[in-house]
Amino acid sequence: MKRFRKILTLFLEFMKFGCFTFGGGWSIVSQMQKLYVERKKTITAEELLDLTSVSRSLPGTMIGNVAMLYGYRMAGYPGGVVCAIGLTLPPLAILAVITHFYTLFRTNVWVAAAMTGVRAAVVPIILSAVLGLIKGAFQYPPCYAVAALTLGLYLIWNVNCVWLVLIGAVCGIVICEVYKRRNGNAAA
Amino acid sequence: MLLLELFWSFVKIGFTSFGGLSMIPLITSEMLAHGWMTAEEVSDIVGIAEMTPGPVGLNCATFAGMRTAGIIGAFAANLGALVPSLTFCALAAMFFERFKNSRRMTQVLVGVRPASLGMIAGMMVTMTMQNYVRADTVSWVCVGIGLLDALLLMKWKVSIPAVIGISAVLGLLFFGVLGL
Repeated sequence: MKRFRKILTLFLEFMKFGCFTFGGGWSIVSQMQKLYVERKKTITAEELLDLTSVSRSLPGTMIGNVAMLYGYRMAGYPGGVVCAIGLTLPPLAILAVITHFYTLFRTNVWVAAAMTGVRAAVVPIILSAVLGLIKGAFQYPPCYAVAALTLGLYLIWNVNCVWLVLIGAVCGIVICEVYKRRNGNAAA
Repeated sequence: MLLLELFWSFVKIGFTSFGGLSMIPLITSEMLAHGWMTAEEVSDIVGIAEMTPGPVGLNCATFAGMRTAGIIGAFAANLGALVPSLTFCALAAMFFERFKNSRRMTQVLVGVRPASLGMIAGMMVTMTMQNYVRADTVSWVCVGIGLLDALLLMKWKVSIPAVIGISAVLGLLFFGVLGL
């Protein structure tokens, strides 16, 4: 019974986080910081930082991963599942309603006019986000070649993105191992 | 078996994306390959997803699911996108202390990060060719709105929802009121 109540509380807390996740994962991390680190003291700030960095290095949505890691820590696997699903429900409900109206009104002249303006904003938005990612992305010089390769494969040969990510993963391992050996030899 | 296809598509998208933005090229290619969305709709959904709560990836899942199979489709797609968290990440949670310092994972990311950037750059090129062209000619109004947005975002640090709102109003003004 106690465990059930704990899981229910987690579910409700993460549903509340889910209502305010504007602009990706960072807003839920700051909400978790306020509730769990400062008020309930269930984890420390360092532990939350560990959870965040691990969830960013795993495949999948970052916030789903953070929810799973925290929920697992508090109440085992059911806790993790409940947190991930709780977090997803509010955005799902909100977007379902929006999609419904989008489908109804997208051929309306005024809506179409507004959406043409919004579409013009999408590339600058992505660009501004990408500029923030560039700094950490090129750890070794060959990383530039990896980016150029995937760009070419994507644009010219239309290669499926799943393959591009796998190519990136293999390149990452090879690059790191080569540099490790080379540095090892230099030291010896 | 539309639901299963939707689910499986988002499982693939989930497992090959690291962080919100890197999902968009994957979503684009999956949606276009199945004919579930047009390139225009993908741009619309990125705009909508940036304005509403929730990460872009899950919002795209809801949008694609709703458009193809209604609310059940939205659930199937979201569940698919969560599969990496429910499986792979749960494993990481079990062996958290060992995972925290996993060398292999760091190495993978050294390659995946630039690969994602390359993909995103490619997607931006195709989106540019789409979003600034109306009726087969370059729309200078759209280009102007885009340049203004870039300045608002990067020079004056205006928030993304505000920039989308401004662009929508400009769109209404130029294409609705003035009928360009």
